[in-house]
Amino acid sequence: MPWGRYLRVLAVLAVLGIAVFPLYWMFVTSLTTDRELFTSSPRLFPDFSLTGTYSEALTGPVPRWLLNSFLIAAGTCLVTLALAIPFAYGLSRFRFRGKVALVIGLFVTQMLPESLLVVPLFAIFRTFGLLDSLHGLVLVDTAFVLPIVVFVLKGAIDGIPREIEEAARVDGCRPLGILTRINVPLIAPSLAATAVIAFFSAWNEYVFALTFIFDRGLQPASVGLASFIGELSTPTQTVMAVAVMYTLPAVAFYLIAQRYIVTGMTAGSVKG
Amino acid sequence: MTHRRVTLATAAAAAGALALAGCGTGASGSDEPVTLTFAAVTFTESGRGEALEAWVQGFNDSQDQVVIDPVGIPFASFSQTVFTQMSGGSGPDLLRFDQADFVQAASSGLLHPMDDILDVSQFPLIEGPDGYNFVDDTRYGVMFGASNYALIYNTDLVEEPPQSFEEFVDLAIELTQDGVYGHAFRHTKDEEPGMMQDLYNFVYGFGGAFSDGENLTINSPEVIDGLSAYQELYDAEVVPRGADAATYRRMFAEGLVAMNIDNGGVPGIVLGQNDDLNLAAAPNPFPVASQGGIIVPIGVNANSEHTEEAAIFLDWMLQEENQVALQEVMGAESVAIETTRSEEALAAAPYLQVFDDLTDSTQPQIVEGFEEQTPELRSIIVDQVLAALHGEMSMEEAMDRAQELGENLVGD
Repeated sequence: MPWGRYLRVLAVLAVLGIAVFPLYWMFVTSLTTDRELFTSSPRLFPDFSLTGTYSEALTGPVPRWLLNSFLIAAGTCLVTLALAIPFAYGLSRFRFRGKVALVIGLFVTQMLPESLLVVPLFAIFRTFGLLDSLHGLVLVDTAFVLPIVVFVLKGAIDGIPREIEEAARVDGCRPLGILTRINVPLIAPSLAATAVIAFFSAWNEYVFALTFIFDRGLQPASVGLASFIGELSTPTQTVMAVAVMYTLPAVAFYLIAQRYIVTGMTAGSVKG
Repeated sequence: MTHRRVTLATAAAAAGALALAGCGTGASGSDEPVTLTFAAVTFTESGRGEALEAWVQGFNDSQDQVVIDPVGIPFASFSQTVFTQMSGGSGPDLLRFDQADFVQAASSGLLHPMDDILDVSQFPLIEGPDGYNFVDDTRYGVMFGASNYALIYNTDLVEEPPQSFEEFVDLAIELTQDGVYGHAFRHTKDEEPGMMQDLYNFVYGFGGAFSDGENLTINSPEVIDGLSAYQELYDAEVVPRGADAATYRRMFAEGLVAMNIDNGGVPGIVLGQNDDLNLAAAPNPFPVASQGGIIVPIGVNANSEHTEEAAIFLDWMLQEENQVALQEVMGAESVAIETTRSEEALAAAPYLQVFDDLTDSTQPQIVEGFEEQTPELRSIIVDQVLAALHGEMSMEEAMDRAQELGENLVGD
């Protein structure tokens, strides 16, 4: 192999190492004794005799937290896409009064931090009985991620030639059919990408989940993980073990979605 | 996308919606016991949290009218979370607060007056700390716990505890070697509440206070002496810089920190992490025999629809046998009434007596006369102390600046 290729491989491995090492270190720390945590040269490899930390975590509330997180993230993903697709299509294809103001309004929502909105939203959610429920968190997470998803999808729909839609219309396709049967397949890569954005946004959300949920059985993993951080002590190995379990489903979802992103990106790139 | 995929996606969406629909809290029947939520940082504490939950379960098992559901909220976000919930007309029914937050909540009308629902005169409450459960002469809480600060040390590293601050510094420097640190305290902005607790010890221990009850005295000579002593230890590099409290307490448990000025809850925590640790306690090695103490009241949320049921729990909590059980959970902390520790408990943990003996000389960690503004004053003082630690100005200049900002805040 020529030297140039060796160097490229080394560079790729180095970048991969930098990206993956924090996850690896999290795993090693979860399988390390207290004393080894504070030595000047901590162990580089995990001690698999200490996997009891994982068994203890799995017999506790962690599986429930992960299930709650999954329901919130999947719900946010579905609701966001269901709302964003027609919204983006409307912005892309139709001219109507107040369109610019609507777009600016969407941008403005992205400029407000969660901590500023948590108090008024709490009062609104209380009025509508949405506190202490996963539905409520799906709604609030959807509200925060929807503008980004709409903008990404609008950009994707803008890139579809109108002639394709006109041809479908000539063939008798109705407007809803044009959206679902023509546009949606063509923007599949963007849909996959925005699904990942929506899923991760809800999976990682903390402030609203902490404030809006009182019932411990409904807490998501982001809040559950933080609940290990006590006033006087923090069980580092348990935190790291739960963090590993918290990370893996999200990575799995990304890997599944990533296949569609790549497939979609390359689809139609070659004429013939 | 094929028809099949669209159908599958629709079915998945419907399934998701149905799954979510089933995840709310269910309505309870009228003949079921009333469930009250009780929020406390302690429930998140490894070891002590489980013990406190077991203590609460003792109440749940004792009768069939009320069920207490413990809610653990992380220390760093406790205030923000419960204040948001309470300001929004909701929140936990019962709350275990730090005193500064308690005063702020009571002053803002977020707590239910206690005398309306509970006759505390039947209980022999400890007068000193109990006095801090009142705001504007109205009782809003009863003491859940009071924790004094003392010098905790590892007897394998420290033969005799230091008797003066000079001895303390010399010993801390001598012991700082081979991965072991002589001392540890909080010194970062992200631990602002805890750092302020540590600062109170130095300020009180050098005869100072952040106010005289009517005026702020943040730049008084005694305060500057105390905070300069804090800085002296920081500059001597005898503390593990960057380590948060949870980390250096684990280091203490592993014999990697020799001395630590900390509250009565800590010995139980570190011994829970390493029961082979040889630990003892002594009064703080400062010129004045005075230190800070965490006084933690429990109050009833003004939004609660079950204040009478909350009173049933508080009544149970104040019974002597349940106070003794609570004190066992909380370690070297005091509870609401005077209790006598067993000979066995004192023999097994002699440090308990050291902490108990300090109650008379303990002062609350609030700015007297400015209780409501204590959280904002805390932020100002910590910011300026950090500026001095980082070499941006002298401690005297930093406290002059804090005094000026504090006066602007309180309108003096």
